[in-house]
Amino acid sequence: MVKQTYLHEKHINLGAKMVDFAGWHMPVQYTSIIEEHKTVRENVGVFDVSHMGEVFISGNDATAFLNKVVPQCIDKLPYEKAVYCQLTKENGGLVDDLIIYKLGIENYLIICNASRIDEDVNWLSINQKGYDVEIDNQSHNYSLIAIQGPKAINLMNKMGYDIENQKSFTIKSATLEGIKLLVSRTGYTGEDGFEILVENELAEFIWDKILERGQEFGIKPIGLGARDTLRLEAGLHLYGNDLDETTTPIEADLGWSVPKDKMCEYNGKQVIMDQIKNGTQRKLIGLEMLDKNIPRHEYEVYFLGEKVGKVTSGGIAPTAGKNIAMAYVKNLAEICTDSTVQVMIREKLHDAKVVKRPFIQKRNRV
Amino acid sequence: MSYKEEMYCSKSHEYVVKEDNKYVIGLTDYAIEQLGDIVFLELPSVGDEFEKGETFANIESVKAASEIYMPISGKIVEVNEELPDAPEKLNEDCYEGGWLVKIESDAPESEFDDLLTYDDYKSELE
Repeated sequence: MVKQTYLHEKHINLGAKMVDFAGWHMPVQYTSIIEEHKTVRENVGVFDVSHMGEVFISGNDATAFLNKVVPQCIDKLPYEKAVYCQLTKENGGLVDDLIIYKLGIENYLIICNASRIDEDVNWLSINQKGYDVEIDNQSHNYSLIAIQGPKAINLMNKMGYDIENQKSFTIKSATLEGIKLLVSRTGYTGEDGFEILVENELAEFIWDKILERGQEFGIKPIGLGARDTLRLEAGLHLYGNDLDETTTPIEADLGWSVPKDKMCEYNGKQVIMDQIKNGTQRKLIGLEMLDKNIPRHEYEVYFLGEKVGKVTSGGIAPTAGKNIAMAYVKNLAEICTDSTVQVMIREKLHDAKVVKRPFIQKRNRV
Repeated sequence: MSYKEEMYCSKSHEYVVKEDNKYVIGLTDYAIEQLGDIVFLELPSVGDEFEKGETFANIESVKAASEIYMPISGKIVEVNEELPDAPEKLNEDCYEGGWLVKIESDAPESEFDDLLTYDDYKSELE
């Protein structure tokens, strides 16, 4: 049975093209993916991301428990701060990538991928042994609405948002349209923006208010199609494409989210530390096509006539005006920034330049 | 010429319409609507010959890559040369300005057997 968010009827009434995604019937586009993409880069867009998971972690050992399941130092996470991390396995592979928010003393919120909620909760339960901790999966009780774009802050203020100078990667209990709810300054677009955690019963009210008050800022509802082009252009990974149970954070070029000095043990620490020290067999790189061809998921990558890897995410970058990809390749020193590789597209090799990610200037740090 | 009245459509959403002694081939408005924003188009060269059902062009939207098949056999005599540089024009017009190729064809009548009038094609989709 395909699930529907509490905003499903809104999407249908807005004329969205709907698709099945991770077991949910979701809007892929309302008008045009390119138009929606540009709306978020230039003005502000609203996304229904209620399919994502919300898992609350509390109890005397909550911090110690989370410290064991992710490489980040959760013990150093300040109150109301958020941190991007991964649930690692013993072999360094990833169960999921997620954001952990500190809500209070020994009280955390995890927001995770829709497709991985069951796996995550299962994995957390397996690791729970010996820890005084409660794992409370509240995904079914919350809707998540993202407001993203340079004018997101203007729209929030228009809605009576009562927090001044909320920093990126923080979560606050805020008032919006007279309702107390949790607002985090995070997103998946490379732009400034907010994610609003709202009880299901209030989702429609908040959604309507956002579209109404957003009119003057040129707001549009944004589907999963543009969500994908936005995140790819921002160089952000997608679990299932760029990350899975066989990829480690180091291979995935997520070393920045793995502290080198974390004292306590965590799942996969040995493998990950070894890879930091001795390198990996393969690495994730950014690619920019040198002709008009579009690289896509699963296309093969060649270097000097040898097959060296595969594209994991690829497509057009509407703002950068280029065709781009993220690919895993053999970890050769010669494959470095500005070197040229080839992507096999329709049985022909097409040149692509290795480039740094993100593919655009990110503007999400406030 | 009124495309929608005179053209025949394949189940894979190509249309073919006779123009003097040539045939004009393109993609139906339904196909373009389903694809969404068109961002890439690769057309064959003049002189190329294709059998009915063969891939003669490639098209990509933001979301996906697709092949375009010959609705009838023939030899390419003209291609819409400006289109690959501005494939997004297909989203506005896939007929008058958005045809893909023109062919010469001595395809037997039987190659038209599985092609539908636009009205039949549309009702088949519903």
